[in-house]
Amino acid sequence: MAKKTYDLLFKLLLIGDSGVGKTCVLFRFSDDAFNTTFISTIGIDFKIKTVELQGKKIKLQIWDTAGQERFHTITTSYYRGAMGIMLVYDITNAKSFENISKWLRNIDEHANEDVERMLLGNKCDMEDKRVVPKAKGEQIAREHGIRFFETSAKANVNIEKAFLTLAEDILRKTPVKEPNSENVDISSGGGVTGWKSKCC
Amino acid sequence: MSSAHKNKIAEFQSILSESHINLKVLRELCFNGIPFEGGIRCLCWKVLLNYLPRDQSLWDTVLQKQRETYAHFLREMIIQPGIAKVKFGVSREDVTLEDHPLNPNPDSQWNTYFKDNEVLLQIDKDVRRLCPDFSFFLNPTDYPCLLIMDPENEYETLRKRVEQTTLKSQTVARNRSGVTNVSSPLKSSASNSLGDYNPLPNGSEAHWEVVERILFIYAKLNPGIAYVQGMNEIVGPIYYTFATNPNSDWKEHAEADTFFCFTNLMAEIRDNFIKSLDDSQCGITSKMEKVYSTLKEEDEELYLKLQEQNIKPQFFAFRWLTLLLSQEFVLPDVIRIWDSLFADENRFDFLLMVSCAMLILIRNQLLEGDFTINMRLLQDYPLPNGDVLPILKKAKELQDSKC
Repeated sequence: MAKKTYDLLFKLLLIGDSGVGKTCVLFRFSDDAFNTTFISTIGIDFKIKTVELQGKKIKLQIWDTAGQERFHTITTSYYRGAMGIMLVYDITNAKSFENISKWLRNIDEHANEDVERMLLGNKCDMEDKRVVPKAKGEQIAREHGIRFFETSAKANVNIEKAFLTLAEDILRKTPVKEPNSENVDISSGGGVTGWKSKCC
Repeated sequence: MSSAHKNKIAEFQSILSESHINLKVLRELCFNGIPFEGGIRCLCWKVLLNYLPRDQSLWDTVLQKQRETYAHFLREMIIQPGIAKVKFGVSREDVTLEDHPLNPNPDSQWNTYFKDNEVLLQIDKDVRRLCPDFSFFLNPTDYPCLLIMDPENEYETLRKRVEQTTLKSQTVARNRSGVTNVSSPLKSSASNSLGDYNPLPNGSEAHWEVVERILFIYAKLNPGIAYVQGMNEIVGPIYYTFATNPNSDWKEHAEADTFFCFTNLMAEIRDNFIKSLDDSQCGITSKMEKVYSTLKEEDEELYLKLQEQNIKPQFFAFRWLTLLLSQEFVLPDVIRIWDSLFADENRFDFLLMVSCAMLILIRNQLLEGDFTINMRLLQDYPLPNGDVLPILKKAKELQDSKC
């Protein structure tokens, strides 16, 4: 069995209208680069990044989805396993913002109840093209009790912060247990029981 | 040129010069790759995709008729609505008496106009990102559509429509003193976010604009499917092949010819693009399952490994099958694969065999890899020795073993 190089695995999902920059947001986070010329995502794409939070190595398995309605039957099947969902709109595209409520409904219908949600208003470097005021993004996020960031994959604004915050929020909810806790007798007061190979 | 290749060309030429094309022999030849020289590939694709009949004496008539039909589509679906739009904009009386932008009647021309714009914008987003690492689609075509580009005509072209529709959403900004600035379209288009993909000067157009028009006409004629992301990746290789035809007579008509070949091809694969058919017998889900069931028969160890890692065919085969592998390989390799695909009588069954062959050819890597490594392999396929031929060879073996 391959040796595990991480303590926890979090599955994240990126959703939102087509063309809002989901793939660019992910690429900025995973490869720290920006590319204006991404082909459209068909079906589902996938990236991995390992981060360290509170002394734990956390492997983020991030699924990038196609935005167009046609792909929803394919993409909604990924909602169930996701621990965190990033819902992205484009601050220069009013329609992508109007559709937020539709996407939130999708999450309600298809995702786990306790999934961590986050709203991102992407392309915030394009201030001269802005049609969605920041306050409106904040408002809808407040109404649904979810976090909100304005991001720019191009100018590298808030991308890492958004992913790390989402990961921290998931981590906070993850029951605190040592990797080998199934072998720990509670009465022993959490004494160290020596190394065991971790289970998935 | 090697003598083998010369022989191959001669063989094609001899088959293609017969008055009645022997389809069986042509298929066999095409399966092993079609020469580009002399426009042979364009011709063969047109025959294989049922655009040209087997009777050679009919070709000129068919081509002429179809190209006229396409010009008619352009007039009806782009030019006339464009003229009507300009008229609407100018004449107030027409607007209030007959039709107006807020007319709730579904038959309203304005209603249609706005619906079309949604489709057009989606197409526009995607054709601008067609084969981004390859400059061809950004280059101007030698044959801009004269019908559309006619400078005498004051009507709304697709290009103007896209510009206007994108601008519409950014024209009004209010400053703190309450003054509303309606920015001038000129100023906004100067700082267009479209970057490298800005349209060329009037009178010329880039290849991606031609692809956009083909998809728009297809969407108008097939409202049941309209436009689905990924169709651009199907048109791309066909248009590229036709627009780089060394035979310039035909190159000039690349747009119309691509449209009909694309339409014929879509007739065979459109179910993949229709969401409501996903779980039906003819939908994409059953095809993806067939890839796995074939794999199970051919290489059970690999099948079990993928099952155990919970790697579902949706994670990669959805894209492979829907796009006929056009996003998995570089364009010349895609075209080579399509030679074999189009040549096969059961072409889309063959595609399933190709997918299965792709898995088997990297089995050792897959058997060693964990979930992450394997997902990466499948989403970014490592072509063994940079050559697609072993894949096709293996796929043929699989197909033959099933007969």
